[in-house]
Amino acid sequence: MIHSITSKYNKQGLWLLFLMSVFPQHLWTLIFAFRDISWLIDRTNVWDAIGNTSYGMVYAFFESLLIFGILALLGLLTPSRWEVNRRVAFLTLLLFITSIWGMVSQLLYLWNIWLPFPLMQFIASTGRPLVMLYLFSLAVVVPTVSFPVFAFVRWNKTLPTLLDFMDRLTTLSMLYLFFDVIGLIIVVIRNIS
Amino acid sequence: MKNQFNRRDFLKLASLLPLGMAPRLLRSVNNPPQQGKPQNVLVIVFDAWSAYNVSLYGYPRNTTPNIDRLASRAIRYHNHFAGGSFTTPGTASLLTGVLPWTHRAFDLNGKVAKPFVSRNFFSALQNHYGIAYTHNSWANTLLRQFSQDIDELIPRELLMIPSTNTFITRLFTRDDDTSAVSWERNTHLSDDGSAYSLFLSGLIENLQEKKIEDLKPLFPRGLPTSKSDIGFTLERAREYMLGRLTSIPQPFAGYFHFLPPHNPYNTSQKFINYFNEDGFLPIHKPRDIFATSQKSTLQNDRRLYDEFVLYCDDEFGKLYNSLEKSGLLENTWLVLTSDHGEMFERDIIGHISDVLYQPVVRVPLLIFEPGRTTGMDVHDYTSAIDVLPTLAHVSGEPIPEWSEGIILPPFARQSQIPERSLYALRAVKNGKYAPFTIGSFIQVRGGYKLHYYFGYSQTPGDGLVRLYDLNSDPEEMNDLAALKPETTAELLHELKAKLKLVNEPYL
Repeated sequence: MIHSITSKYNKQGLWLLFLMSVFPQHLWTLIFAFRDISWLIDRTNVWDAIGNTSYGMVYAFFESLLIFGILALLGLLTPSRWEVNRRVAFLTLLLFITSIWGMVSQLLYLWNIWLPFPLMQFIASTGRPLVMLYLFSLAVVVPTVSFPVFAFVRWNKTLPTLLDFMDRLTTLSMLYLFFDVIGLIIVVIRNIS
Repeated sequence: MKNQFNRRDFLKLASLLPLGMAPRLLRSVNNPPQQGKPQNVLVIVFDAWSAYNVSLYGYPRNTTPNIDRLASRAIRYHNHFAGGSFTTPGTASLLTGVLPWTHRAFDLNGKVAKPFVSRNFFSALQNHYGIAYTHNSWANTLLRQFSQDIDELIPRELLMIPSTNTFITRLFTRDDDTSAVSWERNTHLSDDGSAYSLFLSGLIENLQEKKIEDLKPLFPRGLPTSKSDIGFTLERAREYMLGRLTSIPQPFAGYFHFLPPHNPYNTSQKFINYFNEDGFLPIHKPRDIFATSQKSTLQNDRRLYDEFVLYCDDEFGKLYNSLEKSGLLENTWLVLTSDHGEMFERDIIGHISDVLYQPVVRVPLLIFEPGRTTGMDVHDYTSAIDVLPTLAHVSGEPIPEWSEGIILPPFARQSQIPERSLYALRAVKNGKYAPFTIGSFIQVRGGYKLHYYFGYSQTPGDGLVRLYDLNSDPEEMNDLAALKPETTAELLHELKAKLKLVNEPYL
């Protein structure tokens, strides 16, 4: 296993992949943790609200580690002839598409957006609504995955553009990791005081 | 540096250790315990349980058929007041026998001031085996503070359905509430469908849903929960409690604080829609200046709450029967009460508003005396701070000198309660160790109840004062502040003097 990993990644590549794993999860946690702050201050106090955000950051860090692990393992399935950067960029692309769908699925609820009524009626009338719903979801999701993947494989410009974009995101990811450290310190203080 | 402390010094110091026990022994001599077999004390608290919604106290819906039946053998206190309007001050007053402005636990999830860490229900009943449990994490914060006086503090998560939350609360035992709330927000899709986690939320939620699959049909509205766990049942808590009470040393002093009927009002399947379309229409009360809720949900929420009270009543009935069967009741003082109430009127739902109307501060109190076969009604105005001295008195322990309460009738030597003022307060926005500059206070004296709110944006200037005559107007519909200026001024003067006094140490 270790041999497979070392043959497909180098230290820089793994670090970049980790930073990319940090980005979407932390971005989402920060948005919602800050959204909760006023609600928490109303119900508890400022220190507990800060505590809630701090725990959120720490949990997000561990979730990012988990995502990173899964992505790194997934990368072992990519062609050996690919360079490390290409592999990392490809995995990042998959992660971001999945993340966007994760965000969309929560936002649909949050903004109270449902399928158009005639479509729901049609799905219900088929007699197998759950299967139809999955098929419908698949029909929407598949193009959003296949098109970027196709673009990545076929168009030479996609890789440098993606790498450039990732390079910009690393700064933000580093900032999020800094927040994690602060969060961890707050968590420790709360648990020893 | 040479160590000056030698073996001889150590032996000298060790010989003084028994003197440390002297204060306890001397206190016992001053107030000797009752003759005969020492008796157990068991306090059962249902959280956010308002006396307003209890049929025993005249509520039109039959919410407590079992308690009503059992109360024919109990002392029923009809005008009993909590110390505050939410868990922290309410529970702390009940357990310390002092008002929130004395114990200072009036902030959300707050702790009592240092002196009260060792002045509590368990230290007062020092010759009893102390056992305690609560579903409520804020009450647990207080119990943990008192843990040095509790022989057996049952871990909160023990009677919760095991989940990832349990792991988190065990990992962060000293900060279990906030860590669990954050974990819950991380992994559980909230009502609006959002969670901090993009991927784990769906996964963990599915796993947890599977864990409670068997219980789901029994609780169609969802399991009773504190929102930072996946749920619990009163049935499990009752069985565990009985198991412990029948095996621990006697006399014991037990404090069991169950979360229902606190929101969310997830009642058992047995009581779903029990009061649906029963035609009950509560008295309409005008919107309050502190109102935050929408009128449209008031009656529905009230019905859900009433149906949840039925679940508590059912479980208490079963608990009582089991205690009786086990023979424990022959030697146990059983107290049934609450830490604060809940309200569904004036466009206010719950107990997080700054108001202190009767539904949020008037709570049930029933005392089941060993061997008593007849009921008794007490209509005097009583307070949560009276419970501790009363229990110490009846169980043969010295009455704690720090307690601000009195011995409740009919156990006091004098037949009538002396004329006194009762207080309750809410001051979550005020500094914990600062003079009161913002808060809600009530004073009850001679049948009158004075509300005094100050420091809020809704109450500019000198604040807002309201006066109600509880004897003729228990629903608090007619503000008499303008009609009875002398009574209002007299009560307000007394309350302000009291506030001045309690503020002094923090000026």
